[in-house]
Amino acid sequence: MGRSEAAYLTPMNRQRGKQVLGWVMVVVLLVVIQPLAKLVDYNRTVLGMKSPTSITRIVDFDPTAISGVVMGAALGGFQGVAASMLWIKMEELWDSGKGTWLACMQVMRDVTLLDPHWLEPWKILGWHLAYNLYVETKDPAQQAIYLAKGLDILKEGISWNPDTYELYTELGWTYFDKVRDYENATKWFRAALQFPHPEYIERMIAHAYERMPDLDRALDWYDYCLKRYPNDETAKGATTTLRLRYLPAWRLMQAGQYDAAIAKIDDYLTAEPNGMIALHIKAHIYEQAGRDDKALEVWTLAARLSAMDVEAKRKVAELSAKLGRPLSAQELAPSFLLEQKEKAIPLAVPQHAKD
Amino acid sequence: MQAIYRVAAATFHEAWRRRFLNAILVFAVLIIGSSWSLAYLQPGAELKLLIDIGLGSIRFFGMLIAIFLGVRLISDEIEKRTIHTILTKPVTRAQFLLGKFFGSLATVFSNLALMGIAFYAVFAFKAPGFMNKQPTDQSAGPAFSTEFIYANIAKAIGLTFVEMMVVTALAIMASTLFSWIMAVVFTFFIYFAGQAADFFKTLGNPQRGTGMFSQVVFNTVYGILPHFEVFDMREAILKGTYVGWDVLAQHVGLGVVYTVLILLVGYLAFMNREV
Repeated sequence: MGRSEAAYLTPMNRQRGKQVLGWVMVVVLLVVIQPLAKLVDYNRTVLGMKSPTSITRIVDFDPTAISGVVMGAALGGFQGVAASMLWIKMEELWDSGKGTWLACMQVMRDVTLLDPHWLEPWKILGWHLAYNLYVETKDPAQQAIYLAKGLDILKEGISWNPDTYELYTELGWTYFDKVRDYENATKWFRAALQFPHPEYIERMIAHAYERMPDLDRALDWYDYCLKRYPNDETAKGATTTLRLRYLPAWRLMQAGQYDAAIAKIDDYLTAEPNGMIALHIKAHIYEQAGRDDKALEVWTLAARLSAMDVEAKRKVAELSAKLGRPLSAQELAPSFLLEQKEKAIPLAVPQHAKD
Repeated sequence: MQAIYRVAAATFHEAWRRRFLNAILVFAVLIIGSSWSLAYLQPGAELKLLIDIGLGSIRFFGMLIAIFLGVRLISDEIEKRTIHTILTKPVTRAQFLLGKFFGSLATVFSNLALMGIAFYAVFAFKAPGFMNKQPTDQSAGPAFSTEFIYANIAKAIGLTFVEMMVVTALAIMASTLFSWIMAVVFTFFIYFAGQAADFFKTLGNPQRGTGMFSQVVFNTVYGILPHFEVFDMREAILKGTYVGWDVLAQHVGLGVVYTVLILLVGYLAFMNREV
C-alpha cells in the first residue's frame, strides 16, 4: 500500500471506527435503560401511577372491548372524554329497548376499560350482568355465568378503586341480594367499613348474619349499629324482632335441646307459616341436630314458597347432592352452580335431573 | 458550543414563524380554555374531567407540535439544499443535529409553558367551584382527593416536557432517515406503540402460553420501544398521591437516556446520509 493510499484510507477508517463505536454505545444504552425502565415501572405500580387504561389487559377481554381500548390509547390523553361519550352512547342504546342489552354490556365494558376510576360504570355493569342479563335466560348454567361475570366485574372494579367504600358495598349487596351468599356478603360489607361510609352498611352486615342465620353475630352487629347511631330505628326494630321471635329457639338449639328449639320456632311458624327467616332457622336447627332429611324438607318448603329464596334453593341442591336425592333442573340455583365453580368441585347431579 | 447555540437559535426563531405550529398552539389553548365546559359529561366528577382534559390536551397537542416540528428539521434543509451552506461552514453534522434538537426543544418548551399557563388559569378559575361540588356528606368519603394537587399538576407538566423531549428526538431521528411524510408516519407509529409498550410485555409473558420465539420477539420489542406511558402522571393527581422528587428524577433520567439513545441513532444515520 502506497503512502498516499494510506492517507486516503485513514479518514474512512476513522469514520468506520466512529460508526462501530456509535452502535456499541447504542447497544450499551439499550442495556442500561432496561433496569431503569423496570425501576420506574415498579415505582409507578407502587405509587398507583399506572395509566388508567391498562392496554395490557386487552388480551384478556372480548374483541368488542378491544376497539374501545385501542381507541382510548390512540386518543392518548382523552380517555376520560371518550369514556363519557361512550356512556352517552350506552344510555341511548339503553333507552332504545332491552333488545340491546348485550350491546349495552359491551359499551359499558369499553367505558370501564377507558376510565377505570369512574365508579358508576363498574356498578352499573355489575348490576346489569348479575340482574338484568341474569333474568334474560332461564338456563341455570347461563345464569350462573352472568352472575359470576357480574361479581368478577365488581371485583375488578375494586382492584382499580380499592380506596373507596362504594364497590365493596355493591359487591356485598350482590352477594346478599342476588347470590344469597351471606358469608361473602358480610366479608365485602366489612371491607367497605375501612373507608368513610354511610351508616346502613353496618346494618347490612347484621341483616346478612340474620339471614345466614347466625343470630348471635346479627345481634352483635345490631348492638354495634345502635351504639354508633342510637336513633337507628331499623336496627332497633330488627333487634326487638330477633329477640322476641327467634332468639328463644336459637338459644335452645345452642343448648342442644333441638326438639324444644323446633317446637319454639314452630310456635312462630304457626302464626306466620311463610316466614323466611323462621324457616331458615328451623332448617338450620335440623342440620345442627344432624337430621339432614328433615332439613332438606324445610329448605325445599322455603324454596317453593319464594322463588327469590336462592339461599334455600342452594341448600336444597347441596343437601340433595349430599343425600344422593334426585334434583330437578329448576331446583338448581345458579348461586349453587356458581359456588361449585368457585370451589372447583365437580357438580354431582343425577343424570335424569339434567334432562 | 457556539455553533450548536447558533443553529438552535435559528431553529427556534424559524419554528415560531411556522403558521401551522402556531395554529396547533392556538387550538390547544382554546381546547384547554374551554375544557371546563365538557365537565358536565361526568356529573360529580367535574374536577377529574377538567384535569383529564387539560393535561391530556397538553400531552396530545405537545406531541403534535413536537412531531410536526421535528420531522421537517433535517429533511427540509436537505430538500431546499440549505444544508450545503451550513455544513460547508465550520459546523459538524453532530453540532448541526444537536443545534436542531435544542432549538426545537426550546420551541416545544415554550409551547408547553403557554399551554400550562392556560391550564393553570382555567384550573384556578374553575376548580374551586368544582371542589365545592364534591360530596358534602363526608360519611360517604371524598370522591376526589385534592391533596398535593397543585404541585402534582406542575410535576405532570414537567414530565410531559420530558416526554416531548423524547418525541422530538424521535422525530429528528426519523427526519434523518426518511422524507418528512414518512417521518411523520414513523414517529406517530412509534409514539402510539410506545404508549402501549406494556401490551408487548404481556404478550411475551410465558404464563400466557406464548411460544419461545414469540416471547423473544415481544420482549425485544418491549425492550426497544420507548415507554411513553410512564410520563403520564394523571393517575397520581387523580388519587392525590404525593410523587417524590426521587421518583420524578427516575422518570427524568429515563427520558434523558431515551433521548441520548435516539439522537445517537439519528446521528449514526445522518453520518452516512448523502446530502
